[in-house]
Amino acid sequence: MTQLQARGVVRAYGPTPALRGVTLEVAEGEIVAVTGPSGCGKSTLLHCLAGILRPDAGEVTWRGHRIDTWSEAARSRLRRTEFGVLFQFGQLVAELTAAENVALPLLLAGTGRREARTAALTWLERFGVAEVADVRPGEMSGGQQQRCATARALVTEPRVLFADEPTGALDTLTGEQVLTQLVRLAREQRTAVVLVTHEPRIAAYADREIVLRDGLVDHTGLGLDVPLAGGAR
Amino acid sequence: MRPTTLLRLALAGTRTDTARVVLTALSALLATLAGLAAFTVWAIPTPAATAENQNRWSEQYHNALLVQPGLRGGTALALLMLMIPVLALAGQCARLGAPARDRRLAALRLAGATPGQVTRLVVLETGVAALLGTLVGLGVYLVGRDLLHRPDAQGQLALPTDVLPSTGALAGVVLGLPVVAALATALMLRTVTTSPLGVSRKAARERGPGPWAGLLIGFGVASFAVIRPVVYRFADDVELMAWLVPALFAVGALAAMIGVVIGTGWLSYHCGRLLRRHARGPAALLAAGRLMADPWAGSRTFAALLAALIFGGGAAAQRAYFGTKDQLEQEQSRFAGLDGGTDPFYLSTMNYVDAAIAVAILIATGGLIVALVEGIVARRRAYAALVATGVPRATLSRSVAWQALAPAVPAILLALTVGTLLGRGLAESEVSGGGGAATICEATVALCEDPATSAQYNRIVQIPEVQRAVPVPLEHLAWLGAGALAAVLVTIGVGLLFLRASTALDELRTT
Amino acid sequence: MGGVSTPHVLLGLLAGGSRHGYELKRAHDERLPRARPLAFGQVYATLGRLERDGLVAAAGQDRAGGPDRTAYALTDQGRDTLDQWLSTVEAPMPYVASTLFTKVVVALLVADVDRARSYLIAQRAAHTARLRELTAVKADSGATLSDVVAADFAIAHLDADLRWLHATLGRVADWHREVHP
Repeated sequence: MTQLQARGVVRAYGPTPALRGVTLEVAEGEIVAVTGPSGCGKSTLLHCLAGILRPDAGEVTWRGHRIDTWSEAARSRLRRTEFGVLFQFGQLVAELTAAENVALPLLLAGTGRREARTAALTWLERFGVAEVADVRPGEMSGGQQQRCATARALVTEPRVLFADEPTGALDTLTGEQVLTQLVRLAREQRTAVVLVTHEPRIAAYADREIVLRDGLVDHTGLGLDVPLAGGAR
Repeated sequence: MRPTTLLRLALAGTRTDTARVVLTALSALLATLAGLAAFTVWAIPTPAATAENQNRWSEQYHNALLVQPGLRGGTALALLMLMIPVLALAGQCARLGAPARDRRLAALRLAGATPGQVTRLVVLETGVAALLGTLVGLGVYLVGRDLLHRPDAQGQLALPTDVLPSTGALAGVVLGLPVVAALATALMLRTVTTSPLGVSRKAARERGPGPWAGLLIGFGVASFAVIRPVVYRFADDVELMAWLVPALFAVGALAAMIGVVIGTGWLSYHCGRLLRRHARGPAALLAAGRLMADPWAGSRTFAALLAALIFGGGAAAQRAYFGTKDQLEQEQSRFAGLDGGTDPFYLSTMNYVDAAIAVAILIATGGLIVALVEGIVARRRAYAALVATGVPRATLSRSVAWQALAPAVPAILLALTVGTLLGRGLAESEVSGGGGAATICEATVALCEDPATSAQYNRIVQIPEVQRAVPVPLEHLAWLGAGALAAVLVTIGVGLLFLRASTALDELRTT
Repeated sequence: MGGVSTPHVLLGLLAGGSRHGYELKRAHDERLPRARPLAFGQVYATLGRLERDGLVAAAGQDRAGGPDRTAYALTDQGRDTLDQWLSTVEAPMPYVASTLFTKVVVALLVADVDRARSYLIAQRAAHTARLRELTAVKADSGATLSDVVAADFAIAHLDADLRWLHATLGRVADWHREVHP
């Protein structure tokens, strides 16, 4: 069942067009990778889908409701309750400890402090970073920070997780570990993931891949069924 | 590095850097005006004593503050003290856009610039901006002096527009301020110039600022308290008095001021701790984390305002002293059957002081706005990321308000208390009057003065000795506190406007 | 992906003690999970060559007899050969030779840019599909470390090929002009 849909989304920064009419659908619990070269509009598409940016034209619908026409406050609420957002780096609040950072979305939703902390500790445990619960981001490694950020993005058990180059600042091994955990937990709780990446091996974690080129879906990205030589691999 | 290269790199900044340069120049201009005014008052010559002018008054002025040689020192000192909030403002302006500048300088270091070259670059920027400000200030002073030189019908002047400070003093202000500004900048930049990696990870401060602020405040209050005994004890030693009293005054005021500013760091940290432990809701949690992570932000932000409030508190205490004295004298005159007849001189002088304090608070509010906005703009990426994850802007706004108000309220109370203590230390805590006798005549002047009838109408009245405690001027202090709080609230309002712009999600595009 | 050196693998498997041909095949498939499975015939042929060269020796037969039941053991000479092989560094890509690469060159020689491009795109799709398959194997919660390491090896190479395919797609028009001036 389609949950999130973009139809003919156009968005420009000043005179520079970033998206020139993108259409795509994300089904419930589906992991979709959005790939393409630098500057193809991947991040902008993610921001439009997540309701962070408003498209200049076209529409974005969430379970049949157009969200691009909603007020900032309404979209904020949607992001807080139904969506999770994960960036490459720098999203943790530097002054708060890991547990407080992870608990933040729950606190915003009105959960009590003790309960929020318990949930935060559970999620930190799931990502194997329980030992940094009371440490501030500045004293953690990049991998630990990104695990905390992922825990924060998933703590509200969102319906869609938007991840923009979530492993971009990590080394190969750490990046794959974080992503493996992310994908496993997302599948467990049927959270759909929109995964923006320029790396084929990261995109391979997805069920489906959408290739953007110059602000449009590149139809030559995948396709052409040609028989495999030799028939064996 | 060739001078042209130096200049090109010094001018390579953004709009924020331009704003910083302009504000630096502006505060240098204000400081120059205050300094030159102080030195002008200082430069008023004291005429030789003559038969008509035994007090050696400078009769060419209206204002007693300028006329009496005994008051001129204080006036000049008060004007010099006005430089303190101005300099605090300058310090806050210097932080405007500092993170971006630090990154740029770190990039220059990575590109191979030596620490010395980078320091020179920044020192040049600040120094030239300040010099520009002081030169314009000198111009304003010279022109203003000419325009305001308007003797009235009696040939008296409102302002000392007939004297000029010595060339040395002029040069000292115009050239000295830029040098001080440049040195202060070089000092502030030492962390960046040493590392091409720029802002490095800072180890968290596990303990808050120490309580040594209390020691400084105690020392300041004590030095004010000993001024009066010293004056009694060494009244004869003119040379000693000439430096000891001003020194006690200056050192005491400075110690108390630094103590209060440092104490604000301590207050911020502990407010943060309390908030973190007891507050509910993410806004308070965000504010608490920020307060604990950088308790000095509060000190930096409120420095100028607190300095002005200390003076305000001190002045309020002084006014209470003069007011009580005035009241007592009035009562005694009435007791003696005379009308009013008191000297409003000190009270009217206090009006000038209060006006100066109002100006200082106004300047400090400017500094407050600069500091708060700078803090918000510097953290815009973090704010934008939070908004992206669905944190409502209202929550962020509340956290900014918490973050400003939580330390501001106790800090304002502290500053007013310290100021009052200083003022009360300086003045006597009790006013005494009366004692002795007065002759009262209850008839016409002619009858009273006629030796034949004077004995009949004159009588001698014993005036009882009265002692009265000087009250703590609570109402006055409350007004000052309310004013300061209003300044903080206005600042928060302006800050929130900038918060809106800073959470624009375009900030996220910098990955 | 380079020639798999079956004789050396068998020598390595025998280093732990003598084994039958059947045991050797099983051990091979278990340790190299994503490699092409070894055929029995190949095992015996290789063992025969190794015995001829004096690197392994028959270490006894089961009562049932017959060639199937012969156990083999490493000789000293075999141990030296294995040791030498292990301490030799492989030459890193001495020749740029791959069917993938060669096919694009030939496509450019005999056909036009579009033919070469469509081949590249199809190949990229096939690579991507295989990459996804292997990633699924790796991300499966039941995967052993042997599976993960083997999948990782293939993923890294597919990833390298994919990067090359991407880059070459961007260059194919210019390349064609160079080949057909």
